[in-house]
Amino acid sequence: MDIDHNIAVVVAKSFGLFYLIALSIGVLVYVYWPSNGKRFDDAAKNVIHDEDAPWH
Amino acid sequence: MVSQLTRNERQLALVILSALALCGLAMAAIGRDDLIGGHGAFILLASLGMGFVVTSGYYHAEPSDERLAHYYDDPSKVGIVLAMIWVVFGLFIGDWVAWLLVYPEMTFDGGWASFGRLRPIHTTAVIFGFGGNALIATSFHVLQRTSRARLPDQLSPWFVLLGYNLFCLLAVTGYSMGLTQSKEYAEPEWYADIWLVIVWVTYFVLYLRTLARRKEPHIYVANWYYMAFILVVAVLHIVNNLAVPVSIAHAKSYSLFSGVQDAMTQWWYGHNAVAFFLTAGFLGMMYYYLPKKAGRPIFSYRMSIISFWGITFMYMWAGSHHLHYTALPQWVQTLGVTFSVMLLVPSWASAGNALLTLNGAWHKVRDDATLRFMMVAAIFYGLSTFEGSFMAIRPVNALSHYTDWTVGHVHAGALGWVALITFGSFYSVVPWLWKRERMYSAKLVELHFWLALAGTIIYVFAMWNSGIIQGLMWRTYNDSGTLAYSFVDSLIAMRPYYIARAIGGLLFLIGAAVGFYNIWMTARGALEESPTNADRPAAVPVAARTIEAGE
Amino acid sequence: MFGLHYKLERNTIGFALAVIVVAGIGGFVEIAPLFTVDETVEEAPNMRVYTPLELAGRNIYIREGCYACHSQMIRTLRDEVERYGPYSLAVESKYDHPMLWGSKRTGPDIARLGGKYSDQWHVAHLNNPRDVVPESIMPSYAYLGRAELKANDLGLHLKAMRAVGVPYTDEMIANATSDTYGQAMPDSTFSSGLSKRYGDKTTVRDFDGVAGQVTEMDALVAYLQILGKLTDAAYSPVAKAED
Repeated sequence: MDIDHNIAVVVAKSFGLFYLIALSIGVLVYVYWPSNGKRFDDAAKNVIHDEDAPWH
Repeated sequence: MVSQLTRNERQLALVILSALALCGLAMAAIGRDDLIGGHGAFILLASLGMGFVVTSGYYHAEPSDERLAHYYDDPSKVGIVLAMIWVVFGLFIGDWVAWLLVYPEMTFDGGWASFGRLRPIHTTAVIFGFGGNALIATSFHVLQRTSRARLPDQLSPWFVLLGYNLFCLLAVTGYSMGLTQSKEYAEPEWYADIWLVIVWVTYFVLYLRTLARRKEPHIYVANWYYMAFILVVAVLHIVNNLAVPVSIAHAKSYSLFSGVQDAMTQWWYGHNAVAFFLTAGFLGMMYYYLPKKAGRPIFSYRMSIISFWGITFMYMWAGSHHLHYTALPQWVQTLGVTFSVMLLVPSWASAGNALLTLNGAWHKVRDDATLRFMMVAAIFYGLSTFEGSFMAIRPVNALSHYTDWTVGHVHAGALGWVALITFGSFYSVVPWLWKRERMYSAKLVELHFWLALAGTIIYVFAMWNSGIIQGLMWRTYNDSGTLAYSFVDSLIAMRPYYIARAIGGLLFLIGAAVGFYNIWMTARGALEESPTNADRPAAVPVAARTIEAGE
Repeated sequence: MFGLHYKLERNTIGFALAVIVVAGIGGFVEIAPLFTVDETVEEAPNMRVYTPLELAGRNIYIREGCYACHSQMIRTLRDEVERYGPYSLAVESKYDHPMLWGSKRTGPDIARLGGKYSDQWHVAHLNNPRDVVPESIMPSYAYLGRAELKANDLGLHLKAMRAVGVPYTDEMIANATSDTYGQAMPDSTFSSGLSKRYGDKTTVRDFDGVAGQVTEMDALVAYLQILGKLTDAAYSPVAKAED
């Protein structure tokens, strides 16, 4: 593996930014995708109603 | 405990304990001229003791299949009690070292009682002993509830819990004998580190196996945080502890890294231990127990997902802010600052989410000290993440680094956030687990709350003052252009603050002891009534239901 | 396509991998370049390794947790350079496995402590810090003077250090124990090869002032006296500090 320092630094300095942007967009799209809304609401509500035993 | 294991599990337990005993014996024999021999003997005795427990229960009747209709909560119960023992012990040592800075003569002419050896005992006991046991215990509880599935077997949760505590014991006994790698928050030597890897892998596999059995298709967000905690801590632990032992008969090892690379690796570890051990894991706790105790769903589930990926992504880049103005290349420092500041967004989103969840339930917060623990924890989380981002900025860091301000910041997070959210979660979960209607004494919960809050505030204010004064004195010049104060001048100025800090810590310690007593009495009350029925939720249907009565 | 994450979280292993990728890249991007970099660690041809006695002293420093209160990293700030000396260079801790930069100054920085005080001062200070600095809050380390130094296995220590990249020679490893005694017993026959192996500037003294025995006090003082003196690289370019 012959990665010299300059290449490593350039990758670190440039790629990181695009990686961050891509990740943010991905997460935001997923979170606000309309059809996901119901699942999130269910998940949030479901934990409130405790259950005494595992489901079978 | 043994009676709940199946026959196969009992056999497997004996096999594991025999293997462990053999390892201990080998260490004791090979390392007899070194301190590692003492630890070998300790491991040998611990595994023989556990072996005795398993053997004496070996011929008990096997548990019936009826157990599968219930959650398996005994490891959580034991974990909570262990966490409370560790916190009282760890806070005691912490307050002891705080007084050592006021009365430095209290060392009895022995190495074991000096600040340098006691301080890692304090940090390990509270972070790993208290925090780790609390995370393991609550994660088992939350994991089963949110997956609607029982843990896949009875043995591995015990292996994880007790194995982890063995690691903690090796760590703190090691420091008192002088065994340390000197890497802050990663002090235990190589053999203890290897043991922790084994325990941690089992923990992760246990988590995956339970999730694979889940009946609820969506994985609740609390589990995301617990999973990130388990996974990332494993990576951090392995990388930062890479070392070459002097020999197999020596406890001492030499870190694989040196100098600037070692510093960066250490603080990449150190900062992310804060992120994934003391933040992610406890956020998981908060995202389950806070909505549940308040009887209201989390304010914005979407926001919790965004914060999750934000925290997971950004914390990893922030470690270099521990090394400003040092021999570390400047671009790495700049990267660290940038991400440290950006981290404020997901952090405040989490804190805000918690507080907004309580919006509309303020009457409960007023009446119920348990919820108040969690609310104040969320506020301290918001405060200390703001402070952390602020302190990561280079000019601020120039002043704050190496001073007591850092200590104050850490304790705002550790006492105000980590400990308070844990106590709040414990006070919620203890009555549920032991099938009690409520805690033994609501008044003692109230007392604990005020002791903890007062202790934290006194501590943090004392350290802010001393830290900023220290930082300013070190850089003050007089008219002739020379430094105005000697180091000793700054030391004298610290004394009143060190006394105040030790008093604040004492209040917090008393609070934790009160909490331990309260939890112990709650647990004992149930034992006195019906020890066997207590494990059967069906027999006590009121327990979980009454929680929602106020809603 | 947007079902991707949904599938991910249903598939817990995939979720675990996603966490590792998201979290791992930050660490990788920050740390990996440091290992490829030439500029991170400066050149210092005259840099010498720790003698076995100094290494033993360093291990005592680690054992007692001295790093919890003393840093060994002078930052590039004007007041630090004036208070403690030229700022620390990366090369100066090149042979430090692990580094002891520290994170807290309950006591002062000691990166350039070597040669600042006499051996007698150090011994008195370690025996009871308040005898020489009345306001000190440092613990007493008098027991170090009573503990004989364990030197018979220092060859193995040097070997382990070599395994992680410190250039100890076979000769250094073979003579580790006798070099330890030699450095702390100037009149003994052990001292002969020491300066040949570690350089002329190696200090050969009875550090703790008690003849006839090599104690942990000898080792720790020998280490404290070498702090900042393994190379003079920090003095050659005039150290300029930021404000």
